[in-house]
This record gives sequence, structure tokens and C-alpha cells, in this order.
Amino acid sequence: MDVLKIIEYLRGKLAALRIAFFVFLGAVVLFDILIPRGDAHYFVDAIYAFWTFFALIGCFLLIKISKGVAHLILSKDEDYYG
Amino acid sequence: MDSWIHPALFFFLGALLLPFLKGRTKKAFILLVPAVSILAVALARHGTYGRYHFLGADGIFGRVDAMSMVFAWVFVIMAFLGALYALHREEDGHHMAGFFYVGSALGAVFAGDYLTLFIFWEIMAFSSVFLIWYRKGNKAIEAGFRYLLFHVFGGLLLFAGMMLYYYKTGSLAFESILPANASWPEYLILAGFALNAAVLPLHAWLPDAYPEASVEGAVFLCAFTTKTAVYVLARGFSGFEILAVMGTAMTVFGVCYAVIENDIRRVLAYHIISQVGYMVAGVGIGTALAVNGAAAHSFAHILYKALLFMGAGSVLYVTGTAKLSRLGGLYKYMPLTMIFYVVGAVSISGFPLFSGFVSKSMIVAAAHEEGRLWLMALMNLAGIGTFLSVGLKVTYFAFFGKEAAEPLAAKEPPLNMLWAMGLTSLLCLIIGVFPRTLYVLLPFPVEYHPYNAAHLAEALQILSFTGLVFYLLVKKLSPEAKINLDVDYFYRKGALLFMKFDEKVVAPLDTLWGELYRTLGLGALFKNADLSYAFDRKAIDGVVDGTAYSVMDFGSVVKRLQTGRIQTYIGLALFMLFAILWFVLVVA
Repeated sequence: MDVLKIIEYLRGKLAALRIAFFVFLGAVVLFDILIPRGDAHYFVDAIYAFWTFFALIGCFLLIKISKGVAHLILSKDEDYYG
Repeated sequence: MDSWIHPALFFFLGALLLPFLKGRTKKAFILLVPAVSILAVALARHGTYGRYHFLGADGIFGRVDAMSMVFAWVFVIMAFLGALYALHREEDGHHMAGFFYVGSALGAVFAGDYLTLFIFWEIMAFSSVFLIWYRKGNKAIEAGFRYLLFHVFGGLLLFAGMMLYYYKTGSLAFESILPANASWPEYLILAGFALNAAVLPLHAWLPDAYPEASVEGAVFLCAFTTKTAVYVLARGFSGFEILAVMGTAMTVFGVCYAVIENDIRRVLAYHIISQVGYMVAGVGIGTALAVNGAAAHSFAHILYKALLFMGAGSVLYVTGTAKLSRLGGLYKYMPLTMIFYVVGAVSISGFPLFSGFVSKSMIVAAAHEEGRLWLMALMNLAGIGTFLSVGLKVTYFAFFGKEAAEPLAAKEPPLNMLWAMGLTSLLCLIIGVFPRTLYVLLPFPVEYHPYNAAHLAEALQILSFTGLVFYLLVKKLSPEAKINLDVDYFYRKGALLFMKFDEKVVAPLDTLWGELYRTLGLGALFKNADLSYAFDRKAIDGVVDGTAYSVMDFGSVVKRLQTGRIQTYIGLALFMLFAILWFVLVVA
């Protein structure tokens, strides 16, 4: 299967993929800094890379809070309801 | 063309005809029914059809306009894809339930009055539950009953609301309601609709039931109930502030659960709540762009969510489990399924060039345009969670990650399932690349360009940096073989509590009462019995004995008439008949 070969090939190049990913992250931030902001109405439009920080903090909190609440209260054994 | 054929008709007739067909004819028929209904929708012209008058109220079976047509289009397309995915199933009942379900959803979408809507609403609940029961096994049966109870309750809310509404306005017409005019009747109707849209806290039926449905049934379920609810909310309740707030809350609530859930189909079920949250919020914001966004997102969502359920269903179908803690390394055995699932995942996450991007961004942009920055921020937070759980967590732990502990007998699913997934993937891509194919269907004429620099920058930052956090915290997200409590806890444990109350309090009280009666009541009873006995002997027996003697005398007369010969009986009967006739005609 060709698809499988491509995936296996990429899995062999994880280090290169990692570098490509970080380059991509940089490019995304650069893109946000370069786009014109003439029609910025609100602070979310005006601040450079606002959504980068938002995603970093938001994603971190989402994982920490969800997992925390699950471990604290919500999580039960699979046969909890019988 | 002035006449109109209700597309639901094909599904109802098709369901009734299906059991009479066999073999390949049946398989062809299962695909033909939705195909013909697509044609019926394509030929439909805007207008009002099928007016009727019933119980003093005017009803409309077919309100065909831009708003109902968006939903009708995606419903019939989805019906075809769902039928294709379920083609290998042998049970007629499963296909019939699917047809009735789609037909009633179409009926609800075209309904112009509450009575018609209510009837189809109920058929929808009762037909869809079979798609859960067809999974078979106790868990599915119990989940099905809970699902049904919940929807019957929702139906009652709607019914109570529409009756009060009729009392208040004298009409059952289903029209847009202004928030200022809303009081009890409207809010009851709203609650009935909200229950089907899985608005908090009336949502627990969804993640409780859908993961227990049959592999093929879940694909149907995820498309119709909640989106019919979004349609009726958009039609009746656009601009209701409570919907904007609750919808946004749903978007975040759903993804929080999706982060911690273990079963893929439960992750996806919570994502229905989250995605429907965007639509409900769009309806609540109520501007033309927002309501357009809600309609567009319903369209896109039905396709990519069905695709995700198809992918998860395929995994369940071949491996027998959808639990992430027991899966891993599936890319080797089902690479095509993985690719299709990933197309669904990037669509729901709102990747540029895929369908979710062109629809979800409309709602987020509408919130932005109205200056509702909190709503916008929370929706984007939900977007982070969406990519994190559906896109990254499920893909990584099911298809990559470490190999499952017990070896899985995994392979690609049957060809019809692959074709269904392939076609759905193609549609997700077409909508993403050519958004105008979707936008021309939308109810309001609004200029909107998804692919502008600001939208792209926003989406790319959110998605790629979510990827970065996932990469850093992947260990924290390891699936755990657990379930998580939701508000269904209250009625599932509540029901047990009630049973315990019955066993520990009601039953002993009943026994105690019996004892009391036996010890205290029996003395009086005996006294009473003595009196009755005396009365019986002296008074009743006298009368009864007298009557008995009369009957015996009459009996001996009749005995002489019973000769055992049929001609005697006929003669006697004729004689009696003439006697009665004579009595009636002459004497009276």
C-alpha cells in the first residue's frame, strides 16, 4: 500500500519533521505580524500574535483543568453504573 | 412546476416497501430512496404547499424557503451517505428505522405549524431509538430507554408550550418569535427545542446514548436530531440572548469532556454538543451573518461529524472496541480509514481548505463583528479543544501511539463503508475549497469571505500552537480506562435511589400496613363478618332461594323444548322472531 509507505517514510524522519514544524510555527507568527491591521476594531485585532499566546495559554489550561477536575471528581471505573 | 412532492414521502414509502424486497434489488433500493429524494429536493421550488385545516387550526406541511432548503439539502445528501455506509447490514429493521428517522426529520424541517412539527418530532424520537437498540446487548437497550424517556419529556415540553401558545395567540403557525413577546408558552417551546439541541443542562442524553448506538446507526443519529433542533431554533428563536450565552458555554463544555474521555465515540458525542454550541450561539447572536453561519455550520458539521463517526465506527466494527486505552498503531492496518478520519478531524478543527473553516469562522466573525469578544474568545478556546481532542488525541492514540497491548484483528472495513467515507471526505474538501457551493444555499444575502488574511492568521495560530502544546504535554493526555460523570449521574443514580427508597421505605410501610390491618383490623372484620353472615342467611337467602325455585320451574318448561333436533330450534327461533316482529309492528 502506497499510503502506508509514505507514512512509514515520514515516521523515519521524525527529527526533520520536528524542525519543519518549528519553522512553520515561526512562519505563522511572522505572517500575523506582517498582515495589515488598518481595520483593527478591538484589542484582539491590534496585538501582534495575540492568538498565539491565546492558544498556548488556553490549551495548557484546558488540559490541566479538564484532567484535574476529572481526577478530582468526574472519573469513575468503567462499571460504575453496573 | 407548481406541485411539490414532499421528500419525506420517499423515505416513508421506502421503509414500508423495503421488507418485500430481496438480495441485490434490496441493496439497490436502499440507495435509490435517498437518491430519488435528492432529486425531489433539487426540483423543489420555493412556496407553501400542503395547507390543511384540522381541529380549528391551520397547518402547513410544506414551507419551502431558503432556510428549510439548506437543511433539506444536507439531510438528503447525508441520508444517501448514511445508507451507503450501512448497506452491508442485513436487518430490514435497521434500514427502516433509518428511513423513518430521516423522513421525519425532513417532515419537521418543512413543517409550517407546530402540530405538524410536533408529529414529526415524535416520529423522529421513536424511530431513532431503534438505531440504538440495534446495537443489541443490555447497555444499548438501557441507553435506548433513557434516550426515549428524555425525548418523550422534551416532546411534552414542546406540546405543553404549543398548547399554551395556541391559547395565547389562537394560532399554531410556527413563525419567528421576538424575544420581547416571549413568555411561558414560548419558553416551554424553547426548552423542548433546546433539549433536542443538547443545550446545557438538557444535554446528557446525547453522550449517554450515541456511543451505545449501532456502528451505522450512530452515523445517522449524529446528523439529524440536533440539526433539526438547530433549524427550529433558527426559525423561531433567533436573537434570544440566552441562546448566545448557552451556546458558547456548550462549545467549551463539550471540548472539556472530550479532552478526558476514553471512548472515541464518546469524544465525538461531546464534540456534537460543542459544535452544536456554535450553531446555537449563532442563532442567539441573531444577525444575518450569525444565522447564516449557524445554517452553514449545520451543513458542514453534518458531513464531517458523520465522517468522524464513520471512521470511529469502522474501528469499532473491525476491532470490537472504540476505547483509546485499548487501541494503537492502527495506521498499519487501516490507512484509508485513518486518512478519511483525519479529513473529518481537520474539517471539524477548522483547517483552512476544509469545510469547518468556512462555516465556523462565520459564527466567530459574527461575534467579533458585534463586539461580543467574550463569546468570540470562548469559541476560539473551544476550537483549541476541538483540534486537541478530535484532531490530535484520537488520531495519535488510535492510529499511531504505541501498539495496543492485546493484538487487534484490524483491517480496512467493507468496501461500502470505505466508499461512504471517501465520498464524505470529498464533500468536506469541496466545501472548504469552494465555499460558494455552500454559501449560495444560505438563507440571508450576506457577503462573507472566509479566506482573508486576518481569518487565516487567527486560525493558523490557534491550530499550530495547539499542536505545539499537544507535542509538549502528550503524556498528560494518555487515555485512561475510566468513564466520567455527567448530569446523567443524577437520573441514573436517582433512579437507583428511588428503587432503594421503594425497597427500603415504601415496601416495609406496605408490609407494616398489612400487619396493622391483620392485628387491629381483623377483630372488627370478624364482627362485621358475623353480621353479614346473619343478614345473608335471613334476608338474602330468602330472596335467592325464591328466585332459584322460579328458575327451576322455568327450566323444566324449557327442557321440554330442547329436543336436540335442529329443525325444532330453527322453527322455534322463527316463531320467536315473528312474535317479536308482531309485537313491535302491531302492538307498539
